[in-house]
Amino acid sequence: MLLPRFQYHEPRSLTEACRMMAELGAAASPIAGGTDLVVNMRRGTLAPEHVVSLGRINELCAMDMTGRTLTLGACCTVASLAESSDIAAGFPALCEGALTLGSPLVRNLATLGGNLVTARPAADLPPPLMAYGGSVTLHSSQEQRVVPLDQFFLGPGRTVMKPAEILGSVAIDIPSAFSGSSYFKLGARRALEISIASVASFLALERPGGKILSARIVLGAVAPLPMRAGGAEKILIGETPSRSLFVKVGETAARESKPIDDHRGSAEYRRDMVSVLTEKTLVAALERANSNRRE
Amino acid sequence: MKKTIHITVNHQPLELAVEPNQTLLEVIRENLGLTGTKAGCLVGDCGACTVLVEGRPVNSCLMLAVQADGKQLTTIEGVETPQGLHPLQAAFVDKGAIQCGYCTPGMILSAKGLLDGNPRADEAEIRKAISGNLCRCTGYQKIVEAILFASRCSP
Repeated sequence: MLLPRFQYHEPRSLTEACRMMAELGAAASPIAGGTDLVVNMRRGTLAPEHVVSLGRINELCAMDMTGRTLTLGACCTVASLAESSDIAAGFPALCEGALTLGSPLVRNLATLGGNLVTARPAADLPPPLMAYGGSVTLHSSQEQRVVPLDQFFLGPGRTVMKPAEILGSVAIDIPSAFSGSSYFKLGARRALEISIASVASFLALERPGGKILSARIVLGAVAPLPMRAGGAEKILIGETPSRSLFVKVGETAARESKPIDDHRGSAEYRRDMVSVLTEKTLVAALERANSNRRE
Repeated sequence: MKKTIHITVNHQPLELAVEPNQTLLEVIRENLGLTGTKAGCLVGDCGACTVLVEGRPVNSCLMLAVQADGKQLTTIEGVETPQGLHPLQAAFVDKGAIQCGYCTPGMILSAKGLLDGNPRADEAEIRKAISGNLCRCTGYQKIVEAILFASRCSP
């Protein structure tokens, strides 16, 4: 059984790709790793007339640490994120997200950009990237704009991207000293799994053992889009970390979540798990914050 | 309209004319006749179609053949060495890691992808490396034992 027929284009620069997307309009789909598009074409849910490959555009495959910002090209594979020593050292929650996405086989093809533009509520990269306050750069033949990931997702499969826009890169700032982060994905198995619930937490302390200066908690698979638990975050600010504080924060995050019942888990179970995972990731983030002296 | 691609399959450079909507799996099996690579779920869940692209194991059912242009590929047919079976293949036979055999090419290529970069991989690394390859016969234990055996025997 063949995939639906399409014309294939292989632009060599982002400018050329943007021009193609503008000319071809709604008849075109970009392809990067293909782990989503090819499956949808196989299932017959998508049949684009034109497929525009982003895989040969060098600038989209770069990983660049300049000053205090890590810029990741949209076509970086998930495996390359999982294997990056810069990411493991500075952004452990992102490393954890990358390591739990799909399977090793999928991670060798799937890309960072693909995991964002498909906007699945249970995707593994949005929570850690949002926990680091990440933003994306969107390109079109008309303009280039930066959108914080907090404002990028609109709902399942929906983002603020305009039809001919291409996601070029993701930028995350290197967290301050005495900060830590952690991501945990709960699934029924360890590979090829779609999360039942997932949480990414980030904490910055004034000094090791000191009060919490800033915090971000991002929930996955428990709302139509990856969501900040803003109420839970507020409780942490200015407080001295403790187990009882984290329990209270977990309960608040659970109340803020908006899970649904489906075959992967009931809303009630998911809400309970948000509480457990929030506490668990805060404990791990705190431990890392206390041992992270990097300036 | 067909596109011309240049790929190296099992050390042999090839020029092929492929349709853009052909997956790498289809080109390997149908255009090249290398049917050791198996078609399973066709949506990246089972790993039966695993091949190495630039040394990395991937689901060949998820990759368009045109995306493989310029790349080096290894299929199960290219694993055997001039001296005979690859140590991984020999270990699968010796340890009884094969039952129906449908997952075997993919398992061996995922294992090869691991051991080529990490010859002394431990059990946890092995289990992780084959976590995208499903086997419905063996319960995985003998497959893990075979790969572990090959890993312990590596020079």
